[in-house]
Amino acid sequence: MVEIAVLLKQVPDTNAKIAVVGGRVDESAVTSWVTSPYDEYALEAALQLVEAGGGSITAITLGPMRADKVLKDAAALGVTKLVRIWNDEWLDLDSNQVQSVLAEAIKESGADLVFCGKQSADRNQGSTGPGVAEILGAACVVEVSDFNAAEQFYLRPAASGSEKVTVNYPAVITFTKTESELRRPNVRGIMMSKKAQINLVSSDAGASQVTFKGHTSPAEKPPGKTFEGSDSVPEVVGLLRDEAKVL
Amino acid sequence: MVYEALDFYDIDSQLTEEELMVRDMVRDWVEEEVLPKIEEACSEGVFPDEWRVSLGEMGVLGAPLEGYGCPGLSYTAYGVICRELERGDSGLRSFASVQGSLAMYPIWDFGSEEQKQKYLPKMATGELIGCFGLTEPDYGSNPGDMVTRAEDKGDHYLLNGAKMWITNGTTSDLAVVWAKLEGVIRGFIVETGDEGYSAPEMKGKHSLKASVTSELVFQDCKIPKDRILPGVKGLKGPFSCLNNARFGISWGALGAAQACFHSAKEYALSRIQFDQPIASYQLVQNKLSWMLREITKGQLLALELARKKDNGSWIPEHISLAKMNNVDIALDIARMARDIHGANGILDEYCIMRHMANLESVKTYEGTHDIHNLILGRHITGIQSFTRSL
Ligand SMILES: Cc1cc2nc3c(=O)[nH]c(=O)nc-3n(C[C@H](O)[C@H](O)[C@H](O)COP(=O)(O)OP(=O)(O)OC[C@H]3O[C@@H](n4cnc5c(N)ncnc54)[C@H](O)[C@@H]3O)c2cc1C
Repeated sequence: MVEIAVLLKQVPDTNAKIAVVGGRVDESAVTSWVTSPYDEYALEAALQLVEAGGGSITAITLGPMRADKVLKDAAALGVTKLVRIWNDEWLDLDSNQVQSVLAEAIKESGADLVFCGKQSADRNQGSTGPGVAEILGAACVVEVSDFNAAEQFYLRPAASGSEKVTVNYPAVITFTKTESELRRPNVRGIMMSKKAQINLVSSDAGASQVTFKGHTSPAEKPPGKTFEGSDSVPEVVGLLRDEAKVL
Repeated sequence: MVYEALDFYDIDSQLTEEELMVRDMVRDWVEEEVLPKIEEACSEGVFPDEWRVSLGEMGVLGAPLEGYGCPGLSYTAYGVICRELERGDSGLRSFASVQGSLAMYPIWDFGSEEQKQKYLPKMATGELIGCFGLTEPDYGSNPGDMVTRAEDKGDHYLLNGAKMWITNGTTSDLAVVWAKLEGVIRGFIVETGDEGYSAPEMKGKHSLKASVTSELVFQDCKIPKDRILPGVKGLKGPFSCLNNARFGISWGALGAAQACFHSAKEYALSRIQFDQPIASYQLVQNKLSWMLREITKGQLLALELARKKDNGSWIPEHISLAKMNNVDIALDIARMARDIHGANGILDEYCIMRHMANLESVKTYEGTHDIHNLILGRHITGIQSFTRSL
């Protein structure tokens, strides 16, 4: 029996076009929000662990009301304990603040194990798992790429091949892509999720140590180049080698 | 190329959270499991068994039916499911329509308690597959004159006759068969393995290739007395089933149309002729905006019809209009999309030609386009023009 907290972050759909307006990502222009892909691997691993050995899962997200969706999606897969952390005053929480409010909710949930993605698909900071482990005084294993639910061991890429570990509780495990894609819900689960209650909590995030100064869009890609005829082969090879650095 | 479903009037914003979750579930499944395999299924002329399993696991079969292990979703959700399935392929939607509306529904509405308990839970999970035998070689639009008959032999019924064009026939575990008992149309459940029953597959289709179509042959086919559907007599039986299936088609055809529109739009933007994308030419834009116009009107029709199904204020003529219109525009959109794709439009690399060929069947089955016109004509004038003496 294990209590697992799974951290789920809502991010813009990885295919969505991101616009920067007034020095800030325009969230209102994002038409589709999804659960961050690495977090989905974490959730699937948690579901398998609980199926194999019993226990329960608390899904925790930090975000405004729209983030309820990631919890409802988890509920459709059978997760019954759902927590959303939010305070309308929060705008640009820095990594430390994010970790501290998440750690607070994890403690509240009584979890022995914390599963999350190795990084979120929007900010890509990769700091949440290790930071939460630090606050909780928990062991931390990052970039897990495979696991065995019955025997509870984890595999992570190592310099030569892979490394197999087991871990004492409390522990934080961060997942990279694994073989186990997040399962699909079914109609019964979706109907159950309608009844699922989301527990909205807030806590003191403390003062930010990082000041947000603005977003900018990536530089536009230069237009493609076309070459015609066999005479251009040496030039193309030269460019591929020296400029594109693919040869 | 990420699929963006055309939804110009943001019609999906009218869906409930539950309906949206069902939509996303089916859409993702179609994207991940169906589209990569559909061309192979068509060229081999098979309906992959794993799709049956997945549809059962997702729990979408018999979507609007309640109880006996059925999903109990709204008709709107059923429509959305059909739309997403048919965006994949009409054969896939046909499978679900036949299972849910034509085989499960009559048992659910007209079956005995024992029949419901015996068949429905396993049909909802896809463990048992059903088919619907109405059409005969000589009676298509005019099923009332069917010649398949049942005789009461005291301790059993004896069925004789043949059905044709039966979706899922060969792969079914049971068939809901309409036959005349003392001159009155009744529904019977025939199980695979019943004496005197066979379901040979019909081959050579250029349309709905990923769907199984069969004959059902009854030669002194002996079935137990408890296999008659006790709750209905006459054409009302099969027609009630068809109403539900036709409703699903009115949504499903939009899925095929949206897939064709999406492909045509992407193609027009990327195909360069005379130094410019063909999307920049007014004639092509006119075609795309016509498609958008018709799809949007069709979506409004389907949504309003779904609401009517959900609140019970519908009449069969409402369904005739939506089935007829939405299949008609979908077929025209497929043809126009083929035109925009130029020669590429005939390749199996694009979905266009497959949808176009499929929609030819969809136009004919579940009441031909013209039969629905005649249903509306009768509604308007009060005069039936299906039959007259020459
Ligand atoms: C792929 C496929 C799957 C099918 N699956 C099933 C199934 O699962 N179960 C089942 O029972 N059936 C099924 N059908 C049969 C389908 O329902 C019939 O094909 C349909 O009802 C039309 O009948 P028909 O083909 O005999 O055409 P006909 O009735 O012969 O019609 C031919 C033409 O005549 C027109 N016409 C007919 N009567 C009139 C009239 N009075 N006035 C004006 N025009 C008229 C029609 O509109 C049509 O254009 C399937 C058909 C196909 C192609």
